[in-house]
Amino acid sequence: MIKSYKARRIISNTLIYIILAVMCIIWVSPFAYLLLHSFRGEGYVTVNYLIPHEFTFDNYIKLFMGAGGDASINFPRWFLNTLVVAIFSCIISTISVLAVSYTLSRLRFGARKKLMNVGMILGMFPGFMTMIAMYYLLDAMHLTRTLVALVICYSCGAGLGFQISKGFFDTIPRALDEAATIDGANKNQIFWKIILPMSKPIVVYTVLTSFIGPWCDFILAKIIMGDDRANYTVAIGLQAMTTPEFIQAYYKQYLAGSVCVAVPITILFLKMQKYYVEGVTAGGVKG
Amino acid sequence: MKKVLAILLAGMMTATAFAGCGGSGNASSSGSSNSSGGSSAKASGGKVDEAMFGDETNISLKVWAPDKGVSLAKEQIETFKKMYPNIKFKNIEVVAQGENDAATQLVNDPNKAADVFSFPSDQLNKLDAAKCLSPVSKAFVEDISAVNAEGTVKAATLKDSKTKEEVLYAYPETNDNGYYLVYDKKVVSDDTAKTLEGILKACKDAKKEFVMDCGNGFYSCTFAFTGGAVIDGFEDDGETQKFKEYDENEAVDTLMAFAKLMKEYKGTWKSQDPAQIASGFKNGTLGAGVDGSWNSVADKEALGDNFGATKLPTINVNGKDKQLISMFGYKYLGVNAKTKFPRTAHILAYYLSSEECQQQRAEKIGWGPSNTKVQETDFVKNDVTLQAIAAQSKNAVAQVNIQGTFWQAMGTLGNEMMKDGWKPDDKAATKKLLQTTIADVRDEG
Repeated sequence: MIKSYKARRIISNTLIYIILAVMCIIWVSPFAYLLLHSFRGEGYVTVNYLIPHEFTFDNYIKLFMGAGGDASINFPRWFLNTLVVAIFSCIISTISVLAVSYTLSRLRFGARKKLMNVGMILGMFPGFMTMIAMYYLLDAMHLTRTLVALVICYSCGAGLGFQISKGFFDTIPRALDEAATIDGANKNQIFWKIILPMSKPIVVYTVLTSFIGPWCDFILAKIIMGDDRANYTVAIGLQAMTTPEFIQAYYKQYLAGSVCVAVPITILFLKMQKYYVEGVTAGGVKG
Repeated sequence: MKKVLAILLAGMMTATAFAGCGGSGNASSSGSSNSSGGSSAKASGGKVDEAMFGDETNISLKVWAPDKGVSLAKEQIETFKKMYPNIKFKNIEVVAQGENDAATQLVNDPNKAADVFSFPSDQLNKLDAAKCLSPVSKAFVEDISAVNAEGTVKAATLKDSKTKEEVLYAYPETNDNGYYLVYDKKVVSDDTAKTLEGILKACKDAKKEFVMDCGNGFYSCTFAFTGGAVIDGFEDDGETQKFKEYDENEAVDTLMAFAKLMKEYKGTWKSQDPAQIASGFKNGTLGAGVDGSWNSVADKEALGDNFGATKLPTINVNGKDKQLISMFGYKYLGVNAKTKFPRTAHILAYYLSSEECQQQRAEKIGWGPSNTKVQETDFVKNDVTLQAIAAQSKNAVAQVNIQGTFWQAMGTLGNEMMKDGWKPDDKAATKKLLQTTIADVRDEG
């Protein structure tokens, strides 16, 4: 047994750091591989070494300039599709989530508890269970193979994810509402002018999650889009690049595309993070 | 609430599942056979009498072709339209859709899918089971059977479950969906490429690798097939995979010969995804490999003048050289049973499978033809890859009527033999492995 406190601390710290380092390497290596090989110049699919021999921007250039003509691989178009879908569903679902949460947190009406329970239960069904039904409902409305269908699917059920923001609104003292009411504000004004400015962290959280959704969703987009490659989103588009038909020519562009997908999400996160921190420190009632 | 909802959802899902295909399948297939009755003229060479279009006008169709075939298909459709100046075509669009996914997309929603589409032979059963295919018009059957290679026609002929009639379900498009041997001429000479032993030795001497995927049933079934354990459609129950009668001792000896080579050339024989082969050639780590026809463009590019291609080699079993038998598929043009213009769709599919179109496909995008006349043209005869594919197709089992259990079982067979601890000279163990594999394929395990 080592007696010295210092020696024990050094040993335990070394052990902890080794474990952390190993975990870190395991976690980071796929990203490092993705980034490194998206600049790889040689080879077609994978190669049996880690560091590429030739570095080039060709994969990125081809990814954005190579589209057009009869090639059905059109990454810029897919990127734009996804961005549009993400922006619209982000706006709609953020508003609906916050409105639902505010209603359930502040207003008192007959079926409030029951509605909340129903919301919880509906949220427990796995999403893909209803996908086929959703497809045929959309088909009946002649909306399949359109981006509108995606916006509808991503944003219309968003209000059910009210739990977290409702929890946050519950922590804002009702005294503020009452004060505003005395000053003559109605419920709508209270929501926009009092509650929302104080809830930046939760607004940011909602915006982030609803924006990221369309970039990551695969199954639903695949079912809805079918054979219409012009309306693909990045997730299904990138998957198409790795099918046997395209993998030889497009594997490196696929890696480059995967890197590009991370860009808008990262930008949004960096921009929002400022408000996020601000919101956390400035929120709440003082005194 | 939860219960009601669950019942509602379940009901909707079953309803949609039933609504999927079926239904109008009969109507459109009878429509197409009517069209054959209407015209007395026999069709040949891709062109038909205009009367065969019947009363179809303002025709709009959707055609699925794989990405690299889209522009050619568009040209061919323009020619098709000009062939029938009196017929009013509204729009025939060509949409890119990979063949590997064609059946899935079609079965998902036949109403939105293509009217005429390209698909590989292994999807035939799936499409047939979902009743999504409209059988070839009777007027065309004779001509198609006459001009296309026998195997391609036979593989698309299935027994109707009700009438027990033999029905041709699709128009042959290619005879090339298989794998063959590609090699670097600097490492393996044309002569050594004839035997598996020679190839492995040449690769080992040059410190290069030989790639053949042993864990994927599509490739590793070669081991069983070469030994004589060849599949032959289904048993009478229509489900259990049938095997041709084979000599078990011979099959076991063949497997042992393969396993011996795997052990002897450990480190040289790599079991990898063939998608890696082109990269391997480019990096110079690879001497030869068993690759699919869909990768041949990349392989050619990687090797340049040193590109060599030929049929699969032979293996020496007890002093006798045996040709490797592979799995081999064809591609077909199918007509969607739910098409709104069945007559035109069939006439178009017939034209797209004609000699003229197959010739253009061979020349422009390198697809191996199923038309026997095109197979004999100079262009095809002088193309190394097409020749290698054609030669291998004569030593192959058609990829049709295969039970889902087949792939995993065959993959396991290859993986077991490739394993470190496997003893190539253990006859009893090899025999047991073969028996388990066959039982697994037949789902008797």
